[in-house]
Amino acid sequence: MKTDIVDDAIEIWFGPQHVSAHGWATKLTLVGDYIVECDPNAGYFHRSAEKVMEFRNFRQGALIMERLCMLEAFLAEYPYVTAVEKIAGLEVPERAKVMRTIMMEASRIHSLQFWWGQFAAELGLFTMLLWPWVDREFFLDAFEELSGSRHAVSYNTPGGVKYDFNEGVIAKLERAMDRIEDRLPKFKDMLLRGPTFRVRTQGIGQFTAEQGLKWGLSGPNIKACGVPMDLRKDDPDPSLAYDMCDWEVPTVHNEDHPGESDAYDRMVQRFLEVETSLGIIKQLLPQVPDGPIIDPKHRAKANRLPEGEAYGRVEGTRGVTTLWLKTQDKAQTPWRAKIRGPCFSSYYSLKHLVPSSKFADFIVIFGSLDPYPGWWDR
Amino acid sequence: MGFFSVLGDMFRIFKHVFRQVFVRPFTSLYPFEDRYYPERTRGRHIHIREKCTACSQCVRACPVVAIRIDKEDKMYEKDAALYFDYSRCIFCGLCVEACRFDSLFHTPIVDLSEGERDDLLYGPDKIETLERDPLEWRGRRFR
Repeated sequence: MKTDIVDDAIEIWFGPQHVSAHGWATKLTLVGDYIVECDPNAGYFHRSAEKVMEFRNFRQGALIMERLCMLEAFLAEYPYVTAVEKIAGLEVPERAKVMRTIMMEASRIHSLQFWWGQFAAELGLFTMLLWPWVDREFFLDAFEELSGSRHAVSYNTPGGVKYDFNEGVIAKLERAMDRIEDRLPKFKDMLLRGPTFRVRTQGIGQFTAEQGLKWGLSGPNIKACGVPMDLRKDDPDPSLAYDMCDWEVPTVHNEDHPGESDAYDRMVQRFLEVETSLGIIKQLLPQVPDGPIIDPKHRAKANRLPEGEAYGRVEGTRGVTTLWLKTQDKAQTPWRAKIRGPCFSSYYSLKHLVPSSKFADFIVIFGSLDPYPGWWDR
Repeated sequence: MGFFSVLGDMFRIFKHVFRQVFVRPFTSLYPFEDRYYPERTRGRHIHIREKCTACSQCVRACPVVAIRIDKEDKMYEKDAALYFDYSRCIFCGLCVEACRFDSLFHTPIVDLSEGERDDLLYGPDKIETLERDPLEWRGRRFR
């Protein structure tokens, strides 16, 4: 007796109530233990942020951007701020440029630390959930000392930054960096050399660089394939200070499968990202020049903008984050703001990545892409 | 993967766990112990009425419409009463930034527990002073 394989297939929804599903839902078709079809569904986290932005003025808009992804708040608000600066013709002082860059890199480290914990917890390694999150607190303390808030920092503003560095901020930043430098070898020992972790991640969710580029992946996901694609190097932003320090784009080259990346490679890549960011902060901290932190004409110029359009972009923790802003003449609010989050493409690449893998590996593949629902549902 | 390599891996993990056991706790018992709040902490506001000029720039700057101004209610020559709705406030600091007369500030006080939602609307009697009776409920005090 022959039975059709389709008769055995069952459809299940992964999310939106699942604990690891941070407000998203994916429809999976399973035959036995294997996934044959994956249908990602965006929209469960939608807050119409782009529409809300049309009713907020140019100082308030950055607040909405940072709330899309609280983990990388310094990075998330930057595309909006730089787009406003381009249209208004504001000049960012040198001191503000360096301070922005330092805090953005600190934000990147903090976000990656959060991701280690989250990813390891999804694999069942709860020790690695708690340890990086303790170290993350040190960065949060530095953010709080600087801006007065741990997550919703509202630091970047059109024309510069809002809060100046003081001794307390620098001391806390250095303390956080010393702590992570001290603990990085331990994390590597725990995760990358750990047999449980290796077995769960090696060879899982493997894709080539061509596939990744076709799906629109960016950031650590594509750098793990060995493609040195990084906006910080490819297109240095004049309002940031990445050219003031010496650094290389970190990429992973795996001998076993060159030009491809699996979940393990993406983890290694994120360790390298942290080391690079630490290097950048260390070089920039002694170089912070004296001077003002904000353009003196920022109040007058950022109040009503001339007609124009601008494109702000930044290399975020999860990939390229961009915002297109169009303004009408002498309007107090944008005519249209279009956000391109980095995680939409990584979420929808699951459609091609997941089929033919086991159900238990689904969360590993998903977690290894470092997704954040705020970026695909705006 | 032989028996000894697995044993070695286990010992390596135990080494880290054993060290971690003797680290002092990182958490604090919140209602009983206070943590350190920096000077710039964006907590609840304080409105200094003597300096206020009723320019309503704070009301304009607020992105979530949490501030209401009553210009009829005057204590001094040109001041006004402010009503802060802490069920809406996102503590972004734009109102404090907008105030040019040093009349509105954030304070490092973040204890805002209330039993009723309406109590989160801080009228002129509550926003002009830092003293506040903590919420008492079932014989316990909440901050």
